[in-house]
Amino acid sequence: MRTIEVPALARVEGEGGLYIGLKDGQVVEIRLDIYEPPRFFEGFLVGRFLQEVPDITARICGICPVAYQMSSVTALEKALDVEVSPQVYALRRLMYCGEYIESHALHIYLLQAPDLLGQPSALDLAAIAPEVVKNALRMKKIGNEVLKAIGGRSVHPVNACVGGFYRWPDAAHIQALLPELEWGLEASKETVRWSLTLPYPALELDYEFVAIHHSEEYGVMHGDAWSSKGNKTSAADYEMRYFEKHVQHSNALHGHTAYGGTYLVGPLARLNLNHAQLFPAAQKALRDSKLKLPLANPYKSLIARAIELVHFYDEAIQIIKAYQPEGPVHANLKLKAGEGCGMSEAPRGLLYHRYKIDEQGMVRFAKIVPPTSQNLPRIEADLFALAPQLVKMEQEQATLTAEHLVRSYDPCISCATHFLKLKVSEVGYA
Amino acid sequence: MNVLILGIGQSLRWDDAAGLEAVQLWQKQHPDSAAQVKVELSELPGLALLDLLEGVDVAVLVDSIQKSTLPGTIIHLGPDELDGFTPDARSAHGWGVAETLQLGRSLYPALAKCRVTLIGIAGEDFGLGAGLSPIVREALDKASDMVERETQKALKYQKAGTGQVSAFPN
Repeated sequence: MRTIEVPALARVEGEGGLYIGLKDGQVVEIRLDIYEPPRFFEGFLVGRFLQEVPDITARICGICPVAYQMSSVTALEKALDVEVSPQVYALRRLMYCGEYIESHALHIYLLQAPDLLGQPSALDLAAIAPEVVKNALRMKKIGNEVLKAIGGRSVHPVNACVGGFYRWPDAAHIQALLPELEWGLEASKETVRWSLTLPYPALELDYEFVAIHHSEEYGVMHGDAWSSKGNKTSAADYEMRYFEKHVQHSNALHGHTAYGGTYLVGPLARLNLNHAQLFPAAQKALRDSKLKLPLANPYKSLIARAIELVHFYDEAIQIIKAYQPEGPVHANLKLKAGEGCGMSEAPRGLLYHRYKIDEQGMVRFAKIVPPTSQNLPRIEADLFALAPQLVKMEQEQATLTAEHLVRSYDPCISCATHFLKLKVSEVGYA
Repeated sequence: MNVLILGIGQSLRWDDAAGLEAVQLWQKQHPDSAAQVKVELSELPGLALLDLLEGVDVAVLVDSIQKSTLPGTIIHLGPDELDGFTPDARSAHGWGVAETLQLGRSLYPALAKCRVTLIGIAGEDFGLGAGLSPIVREALDKASDMVERETQKALKYQKAGTGQVSAFPN
C-alpha cells in the first residue's frame, strides 16, 4: 500500500479529498471526494421575494459574490421581461471588473504562483520576493476598492438589485479610482510578461471549452454559451445541453454534456473562445506573448488569468471615464408569474441560474449551477491524464504535482473551512 | 495615533458573528468612546485585513474563536501572544487573521509596528444561520467591557501625546 497524506492544504476553497488507486503501477481509480455538506441555497430561496435573491445568492461565495448577484438578477429580469439601461449595464460590468481583478490577482500570485516557484505558501514567497507579493496585494486591493465603491463593501456587496441598483455610486468616488487602476493596468501587463517565464508542468489535453460568447464584448453577462466543439446554446436552452448528475463520492454534483462528455469552463475557455473580444491592451499582451491558441495546459490557466487582468483593468478604466450616473437607477418592476434563466462568467467559469416566480414575485423554484461542479469531472479526467507521470514520481513530488493541478482550477468548493487531502494507494485485488 | 476597533465574523454562521455583535454592543454602550476611534465590521476580511490596518497604530480585533475551552469564554491576546495564535476557522482561501498579520508584518514595516490585540470569544455552534448561542450572547457584555478597556488605554495615550506605541501599557 502506498499512501500520501497532505493535511490542511489551504489554497483551495472548501472541503475535499483526492483518492488515487494504483495497481501494478497503473492508475485504476481517481476520485475527487467532495464531502463538504450541501448548503441547500436553492431551497432557502423558495418562498423568498425576488429582490432578496441577489443578496442571498451573494452569500454563496466570499470571493465571487458579484457573479452570483449578476446571474440571479439576469435570470429574474428575464422572468419579468425587464431590460436594464445602458448605464446600469455598464455599472454592472464595472462591478464585475472589480471582482475579476481581486479574484485573479489573489489566485495568480498567492494561490498558484507558490507552486510554480517551489514555495510552500505565499508567506514563503513573500520572504524571497517581497516586492512581487506587495504588488499582488496592491493589485488585489484595487479590485476590492471598485467593489466597495459600488456595493458599499468588498465582500458581499449590497447595491445590486433586480432591475438595476439601489443607488448610483457617487461619480467623484468612482473617478477617484482611476490613478490606481492606471497603475494596475501597467502592473497587469508586467504580470503577463512574468507569467510567461514560469515553469509550467507539461500537460496538453483535448478539452471541450465552454464559455459565454458575445460578438461585441468580452463575454461576461450577455451572449450564448459557446463550445469549442461548435455548439451554441442560449441561456434558455442551457439545460438541454448541459446536465448535472450525482456521483457517490461527491456532495457536489458533476456537470456533463448531453452526450456524457466532460467540458471545461473558466479562464482557459474564455481566452480560447473570446480572445477576439479582448480590449486592445490585452490583445497586445496576448500577441506579444506569442502564445498559440487554443491554450490547453490546465496549469497555464494562470497565463489566461493574467491576460484577463489586463482586459479588466482596461475595461474598468474605460467605463469609469465614461461614467455619468443619470436616469433611473433601476427599472420599475411589474410583477407577474414567469420563469427566467441567466448566465454570467464568474472568474472560475460559467455560472447558470434559473428561477420560477409567482405573480407576487415570490420564488417558487431555483436552480444554480456553479462553475466548479461543471469542472469537477474535468479535474478528475485531467488527473487520469496526469497519472502516468505521477506514478513515476517520488511521493512528495507526486502529491505537489496533483495538488497543483487541482489548485490551477481555483476550485471553489464552498466558503467554509478549507482543506484537501491527497491519498495515493496501491490497490490489492484478490 | 490612529485607533481601530474591528469586529470580525460571518453573520450567517451562528457564533462566528460574536465579534461583530460584541463591537456593535460596545458602540451602543460607549458611544463617546466609539466616536473617537475608527470602527469597522468585516465579515470575511481575508487579505483585506491589511487594507483595514493601513495607517493604524493600535488595533483591537474582536473575533470568535474555536477553542477547547467553554463556549462564552473570553480570551485576550496581547501583541506578543498573538504571534503564536493559529485559528482553526479560516477565511476564504485560507487567509485567516493570524496568517494575514504574519504576511503583512513581513512585508510592511509600518504594520510591524502596529500594536494588535485580539479579544476572542469562544463559540459553541458555527453552523449555518443567524443568531448566537445563549451562552455566547451572555458573554457579549464582558467582551464589550474588554473592548472599552482597550479603547480607553489607547485614548489615554493618544491624549498624553506620546504618539509612541511602544509606550503602550500592557
